Parts: sequence; C-alpha cells; structure tokens
Amino acid sequence: MDTHGAVIFEAVTRRFNGTVAVSDMSLHVDAGTIVGIIGPSGAGKTTAVRLMTGGLGPSSGRVRVLGEDPRSFRRRTRERIGYMPQQFTLYPDLTSGENVDFVASLFGLLWRRRRRRVRDVLRLVDLWDVRGRRAAALSGGMQRRLELASALVHDPALLFLDEPTAGVDPLLRARIWDELHRIRDAGRTLVVTTQYVTEAEECDRVALVADGRLVAFAAPDDLRRTAVGGDVIEVRTNVPLDAARIAGLDGVREIRQTGPRTFLATVDDAGAATPDVVDAVDAAGAETVSVREYRPSFDEVFAALVARAAANAPDAGEGDRARDPGAPARAA
Amino acid sequence: MLALQFLTRQLAFVGKELVEVVRRPGAVLSLVIGPFLIMALFGSGYTGIRPPLRTILVVPPDTGLSTDAATYRDVAPGLDIVDVVPAADAAEARLRARTVDVVVIAPTDLTGRFAAGQQSTIEVRINTADPVGQAHAGFLAAQLANEVNERLIETAAAEGGEYALSAGRPEALRIPARVIAAPTRSELVNVAPSEPGVVSYFGPAVLALVLQHLAVTLVSLSLVRERTSGIIELFRISPISTVEVILGKVLAFGLLAAAIAVGTLALLGELGVPTLGDPVHLAGVLGLLLVASLGLGTLIAVVSDSERQAVQLSLLVLLASVFFSGFVLNVDEFQPEVRGVAYLLPVTHGIRLAQDVMLHGWINAPWHAAALAGIAAGLLFASWVLLRRGMTRL
Repeated sequence: MDTHGAVIFEAVTRRFNGTVAVSDMSLHVDAGTIVGIIGPSGAGKTTAVRLMTGGLGPSSGRVRVLGEDPRSFRRRTRERIGYMPQQFTLYPDLTSGENVDFVASLFGLLWRRRRRRVRDVLRLVDLWDVRGRRAAALSGGMQRRLELASALVHDPALLFLDEPTAGVDPLLRARIWDELHRIRDAGRTLVVTTQYVTEAEECDRVALVADGRLVAFAAPDDLRRTAVGGDVIEVRTNVPLDAARIAGLDGVREIRQTGPRTFLATVDDAGAATPDVVDAVDAAGAETVSVREYRPSFDEVFAALVARAAANAPDAGEGDRARDPGAPARAA
Repeated sequence: MLALQFLTRQLAFVGKELVEVVRRPGAVLSLVIGPFLIMALFGSGYTGIRPPLRTILVVPPDTGLSTDAATYRDVAPGLDIVDVVPAADAAEARLRARTVDVVVIAPTDLTGRFAAGQQSTIEVRINTADPVGQAHAGFLAAQLANEVNERLIETAAAEGGEYALSAGRPEALRIPARVIAAPTRSELVNVAPSEPGVVSYFGPAVLALVLQHLAVTLVSLSLVRERTSGIIELFRISPISTVEVILGKVLAFGLLAAAIAVGTLALLGELGVPTLGDPVHLAGVLGLLLVASLGLGTLIAVVSDSERQAVQLSLLVLLASVFFSGFVLNVDEFQPEVRGVAYLLPVTHGIRLAQDVMLHGWINAPWHAAALAGIAAGLLFASWVLLRRGMTRL
C-alpha cells in the first residue's frame, strides 16, 4: 500500500452517455488528512466519490485507493473503508440501533465489539437516546447522523462521506467536524464532500470542483492566496484618501478602494509590504489608523477561482454537462 | 475468525429480515391467510356436483311417447326435464332466451324405424359458450342415447321373448331382457390410500402455491427495495460478497417460510388433510420448493427496476402457476411444449411431490425432486451472476 497516497486520481474522466461528469481530474489524498471536495450541486462531487469507492469505473485515467483498484477491492481492504452515501439508504422499519448494528455486522464485527461500537457511535452523533426509534420516524437531520454513525461503526481507516453535514443544524455540524478532526488525528483519512463552501476551513486540503473540473486543489490558506493573487491587507486612514495615489509600489499587485478611508492592497508578502504601504499613506498626506490582514471568505475565494477557471477553460460557456449525472444509481 | 464473520453476516440478514417482517405483519398475513380464506370458502361452498341441466323434451305427436315430464325423471340423471312440448319452435325460443339449458327432440316413429332397421337421431340442442359446459352436455347426450337404446333393446328383447314363448321356445327366456339390453355394467373401486374431499385434495396444492408465492414475493420485494434505495451500494463497498447477500436472503426468508409452512400444515391437519408419508420426506420436498421459489424471487428482484415491476412479475408467476402447475388443470392435458414451460415452475413439482407424500404416502416420480433441485440451483446461479454483474457493471 502507498501509505502517503490513500487516494490517487490520475487524469480521471468519467462520462455518462457522452456527458462528462468528471473531467481529467488528478488529485492525491495523503493518508491521515481530511480532504474536502467542495462545489455546487451537480459539480461532480458524488461522481468523484463513487469513482473512489468503486461504485463507478473511470472512462479514462487511473484510480487507486489504499493501493488498489476500487473496482476490485479485496475483502480486507473493504473492511478498512467507510462510506456514507448522499441519500438516506438505511432501513426505515429498523430502529436506529438495529440499523447501525446491521451495518456493523456487514463489516464482520463480532458481538462484543459490535455492541460497544454501536453504543459509541450513536452517542457520538447524539442518537443514543433514540436508539429504539424507527429510522422512518427520525427527522432528516437525525437520519443523516444515523448514516454517519453507520459509516463510522467499524472504525475504518479511510472514510468517504458524501455531504455528511447536509441538513444538520450548525451546532451539531460543528460537533461532527470536531469528531472528524478527532478521527483524522487518530490517523484516519477522510474524503468529505460538501456544498457548504465555508466548511473548506475544516479540511486539510480542499478540492474545488465545478462542472466536473478540478478548479483547485490545495490547503485552505493556499487557496486564498491563489484566489486573490497573494496576501491582502486592509488599510484604514484618518482622512479620506484616494488609494490610487499609492499604486505602483514594489510588491503591491493591486489596490482596491473599499471606502473613503479604507482600501485593500494585494501584496506578494504582507510582512514585507506593510511598512512600504504605511509610508506611502503618510507620503500621500494621511495617517494610517490600522493595518490588518484581510481574510476573504471562502465564498469569495470559491467565486474567484471558479470565475478564473471558467475564463481559462477552452470550452467556456459550452454546457455539456447534466445536473448530477453521477448521483448514485437508484438501482445497481 | 472468517467463519465467525460469515456467520455474523448471515445472522444479521436473518435478524434484519425477520424484524422487518414482524414490523409489517400485514403483508405476510395477507400473503398466507388470503389464499387460505379463499380455499376455505371454496372448500365449504364447492360441492363438485353440477346442477342438472334444465331441459325441455320435444315429443312430436306421432311418437306415441308420454307427454308427462315425470315419466322421464330417470332417463338421464344430469337432465332435469322441466317441460314436455310437442313442437321444437317454442322450446328453441326458450333455449335462445336461456331460460332452459337443453332441448331434446325425440325422433318420430322411434320403434317403427327400429323395427324397420333404421337408426333414429335424438337431437340435443344447447346454447352455451362454455366449452366445459358443452362437453358436459355432450356427455349427457351420449348417456341419454345409451339409456334410450337400452330401453329399446330391452323392449325388443321382451317382445322377442314373448314371441319365442308363443313359438314353444321357452329356453329363449333364460336370458332376461335387461341383461340382453345391457350385458355389462361397471363398478368403480379406488385403491388410493386416501379418498380426500375437495378441501383435502387441494390442501397440498394450496400449501405449495402459498409457499411459492410467499417466498417469491417476500424475497423479491426485499431485494428490489435494497437495490432501489441505494443500500446495495453499501453492500458493494462492505466486505460482504454477492453469495453472502443471496445466502442471507434465502436463509432469512427460508426460515420464515418454513415456520409458516409448519403452521399451515397444522391448519391443514385440522381441516382433515392427511399426511400419509414420511414427515422427513415432506420437509425435504417443502425445503426444495422454498429454495427454488426463493431463487425465483431473487431473480425477479435482480431483473426488476422497481418494486412495482417486482410485484407485477410475482403476480405473473402466480397466474402462470395457477394455470400450468397442476393446481387446477392436469399438467398432462397440455401440449408437450407447454408442459415443458409448466415444469419450469417450482410449484409444478412442489404440488406433485406434496400430493404424493401427503395423499399417497410415497413419491411416485422422484424425478420431480431432482427437477426441483435443478431449478433451485439454476435460479440461484442466474441470480448470483446477474446481481454480481449489476453490482460491478458501473
């Protein structure tokens, strides 16, 4: 097994009847990290996950997961993988406890360990008190948590979670991420898809996907830098100042006026450029009230990166993709 | 360890399926109790005796026959002579109006034509679209002709005896006219070890049909639900193999159906259905039938895209089973090609074997058991191939 590459995509493309769902995607998921696949609905996130789990085969390219082709995993390898699908797929007539127990049995957990793990994961996702309630009677959020508990119950080394926080309230979402971090810290690898762009902060690396293409794949901070072209500092002055007057400094790439007394400066290195910017403000007849690093939200980062990718795409504007073509087949 | 994990998975399926069934008891109850209620109604209401056909006898004036309907009460047991009329037209009108079932037109000058050595025709008219009714009427017509012929011969023989007596030949009277008219008669003796009534006779067939329908429906719905809900994706990713999935289903629903079979057998016993053969043989027969039926249900689930399609296919199997399995019509009455289709149904062999063991006490044609085992193996193998392909062909 390649211990540094839990999941490897090499130029992977997947088509559905001529429609491209994943296009020439390459990425490398290191063991012991959380990788978030982030993008809007229909971007190809689920298709990518299903390619990783072996639910789909690539039309071209190569996929390796835990050192094996996902379509021919060995039994031992399967035991090390956890999967949480996007839809609720468990048994509505079984109780929460029975559902998790059934999944644990599928993974071969023997009685004593199974009992302990079922209890642990149900407590983790706050479903222990409703362990005797039928799944059909659970709310949508509870059902998502039940799916998550089922994916975690056999303590897998590699977890694929397809939108685990969809429909979950913000407080519980934070708890789920805390638990995912704890799992990661225990040496596990997690591949998580989400539509919540802000959840990129929770990941070690983020794969931004749009229209089946990998727009960017980097650590969250690196993505920010990539999106804005460097560090960004926000400068506040004591009097109104035309920020254009300080443009052209070395190390300053872009100046953007955001108010009469505020502007944003995109610089190569915030540490090196800040004194020069302050001096330039003084020279322009104003005083610097404050300078701080500006962290654009991931919504902004995502929008910037997607816009840039769309502009650079050779077939920009041609919509050849269907919505969610890689969503799990409803019949195998 | 591997064996324990295998056992764990199988028990998980058994537990899961049983819990699901227990939580939705209506489906199983309707599957089991429904056919038995119908059977009970059938058994209590069906006499097996056709009501006599309402018949008008047309006796032309010159025949010399009686015009009193009571005279003809015993001529043909299946005919109820409700009226005797001189002309065919009025009788024909009532036949067309379907207020009577049969019109029998007596030949004119019957005895004269007989004496002259000529054959007469008894015309029997019916008005029915039912082929079975038509055959029944034909049988009654032949019976009527025989009866009339017998009476004619008896009369002629009696007249001949009187003639012989007057001619000084008393030895001619040694043979009674009745014996001359009907030298032989038949007497039916049934050597079967049991002579069941209608309910008893159909009991084993109902048992086999209920078990097949139950197994096919339960397993097909369960598996197709898992395919359409997406949980099959989890099966594919988990270490469970396709064989284990199918085996788990067969084990779970096999146990459930076996429990229902035991209950059904007890109920049949209460209804007076005998079990003359070895209970072990019966258990073997029902076990084979269940495995084959579960294989059929699994195959239906694998080829169906929705629960609705699975239900439709299960009902088609039930319909085919009612017609072709020997449940109602004897399998041997079909053309050989169609008989081949009938023998593809597990229940065809199941009915035959269950009837043999329960009503005769032994299996007369063991090849049915071999065929059932072959069907089970074939269906399960096909299900395995298709399910495996369905889980990997992506």
